[in-house]
Amino acid sequence: MNDFITVYSGDLMRRIKSRPFLIGLILGTLAIVGLFKLPTILAPTLVKQGTRIVIVADAPLAAQARPLLAKTLAVKGVVPAGTTVDRALLKRFDADSAISISEVKSGIQVTIFAKNPTSVPTGRVRAALLPMQVQHSTHLSSAQIAAALGAHVEVRSLSSKFHSVHQAEAAQGLAMTLVVFLYMLVIINSNFVMSAVAEEKTSRIAELLIASVDPMVLLAAKVLVGATLSVLQLVVWIAIGIAMGSGGGSVGAGAVASTAANPFSLAGLLGNILSPEVIAAFGVFFILGFLQISTVFAGVASLINRTEDLGSLSGPLFIPTIAGYFIGILAINAPSLPVVAVASFVPLLSPFVMFARMAVSHVPLWQIGSSIALNVLALWGFTWFAGKLYRVGMMLYGRPPKIAQVWEILRSPS
Amino acid sequence: MLSVEHIQKSFGSVQALHDVSFSVDAGSVFGLLGPNGSGKTTTMRTILNILSPDGGQVRWNGKAIDRTVRRRFGYLPEERGLYGKMAVREQIVYFGRLHGLHEPEAAKRADAWIERLEIGAYSLRPAAELSKGNQQKVQIACAALHDPELLILDEPFSGLDPVNADILLAVLLDLKAKGTTLVLSSHQMWQLEQLCTSYCVINSGETRASGTLAELRSAWPTRTVRVAPDSPVLRGAAEKLGATIAGSENGDLDLNVPATSDFAAMLRSFAAADSIVKFEVVEPSLHDIYLRAIGAAA
Repeated sequence: MNDFITVYSGDLMRRIKSRPFLIGLILGTLAIVGLFKLPTILAPTLVKQGTRIVIVADAPLAAQARPLLAKTLAVKGVVPAGTTVDRALLKRFDADSAISISEVKSGIQVTIFAKNPTSVPTGRVRAALLPMQVQHSTHLSSAQIAAALGAHVEVRSLSSKFHSVHQAEAAQGLAMTLVVFLYMLVIINSNFVMSAVAEEKTSRIAELLIASVDPMVLLAAKVLVGATLSVLQLVVWIAIGIAMGSGGGSVGAGAVASTAANPFSLAGLLGNILSPEVIAAFGVFFILGFLQISTVFAGVASLINRTEDLGSLSGPLFIPTIAGYFIGILAINAPSLPVVAVASFVPLLSPFVMFARMAVSHVPLWQIGSSIALNVLALWGFTWFAGKLYRVGMMLYGRPPKIAQVWEILRSPS
Repeated sequence: MLSVEHIQKSFGSVQALHDVSFSVDAGSVFGLLGPNGSGKTTTMRTILNILSPDGGQVRWNGKAIDRTVRRRFGYLPEERGLYGKMAVREQIVYFGRLHGLHEPEAAKRADAWIERLEIGAYSLRPAAELSKGNQQKVQIACAALHDPELLILDEPFSGLDPVNADILLAVLLDLKAKGTTLVLSSHQMWQLEQLCTSYCVINSGETRASGTLAELRSAWPTRTVRVAPDSPVLRGAAEKLGATIAGSENGDLDLNVPATSDFAAMLRSFAAADSIVKFEVVEPSLHDIYLRAIGAAA
């Protein structure tokens, strides 16, 4: 135990003081701040994008359309029907598009001329002009049309987990953000572990260390230092996230930005969104996932003789992590898909997927238990595998071993 | 006492050690000799339990080498390595702690070793900034800080300039005087002869010869007799006695004779045959014994 504490504390201090860790922490922090602040900064520009319009219509139609369109779009001007619509017209009115409205037999004909067709808010235009279309096709009064179109839509949750749409959306946002954190931490710190092992081997200090301490103690200390640094980074980033969320910044994790509730606001976190079950799931699956991946990385890194070979080895090893991340994201929107359900039991994938499922849906207890058990079993297997490789690999210099030699190592008694 | 008994070790299809056996008395200095690739480093790693033998056993004072026993050993590997960015003193203290020393004690001993090895000017500098020779001194301190019962040094003199080699030699002699058992390998036979009390020559993973220098010499089947001045009469007398002529240089005649020869009778025969001014029985050197043991010379 003393050996472990000595190696662990020595390694931890070296890593904390190392430039890559500090740079990673600072960049991660800046990314979190950016995630929260960027939507706020970009919002005015994004909202304006494609919404400045010029109406091209005869005066009665224009008079009727203008107030309807002005509810959601910026009407920059009105020109008579027959006016040539070109870029010069748009430039003259500082508009993104021109909406030409004319009367036809079945109602109204709307044509949109846009500088950038992809930025045209077609849906908003259609919704805004719907009363006008109805009036021209049915000749009903404005009051009758308003009554006919004013359907009241309400969503009532039958989910046993969430009581409202806002709560479900907030949970999705939180799950998305935590899956991203999980992915970032696993990628960054598994690489740290791999580099640390490779550095000790290539600098030839490994032999001195192994002569002093049991190789399994060295391996365990390396992996747990990585886990500690991950937790440290996570705590810093979540604290910053909470501070930013509570400070009124908008959430920026992609689709989450549009959710009404902010999962990082203190109120949101303390509500039903961040249940003890979700916190525990994140902790358990984060630790299991990180330990599995970094243990394998450490074992494999012991086989390399040049740090330049790290990239080519780590690439294939990251594939399960990347797959887990994408299936995890899929699970947030479709937690009951068969592929998601299956992946939530597969070690290396399940730390992302099962956690995501738990965050957004009700998962039976037996499934959670089975997934954890399978992960623990896999961790034991990975530790055996990595321990075998590490014990021999750290002393193996010269040409990189071939698959057959690796197989020999795994089969050998020590 | 260190006892190495018939150890074997294979790496895949390569058998690095076929059968290596020797014993080292506590407090003695033992030289492990052999050409490159003969299995010296594998033997040392097996003693330290870095590698487990496929067959045979290693014992220290009658006990198998486990974690507790190994902690009392020190090791200087052939391939040197240090944490490049870690300060010299911090590094020595760290290795002391890995061998069970508490930090204050490790720091106190580190300071003493730094002074002893004349690297005080670099103690706070990162190891990577030191010359190869100074890095090697740091490694010696790392290996010996905890006063090991057994210190294994793989090619400790390689890469050292004569001044630093002398410092290391003095350090090793001090450790010997303190009763530390030393096992070392080196290609510099003269340094080994200065330090070692017994030897083992291995080649192709097998023990070829082992024992004290006197024991190795006693097992040597011939001796060289050097007589002068060289003359036809003297050569004739030598042939009559069954000696073979090994060479002649600067008026000296070297003769190969069986080790069991009666040298007093031989001297009388030569003196009777000619007016000789020199008669010397030359014992085989460690170098000769080594070459013969590895099969490079008869």
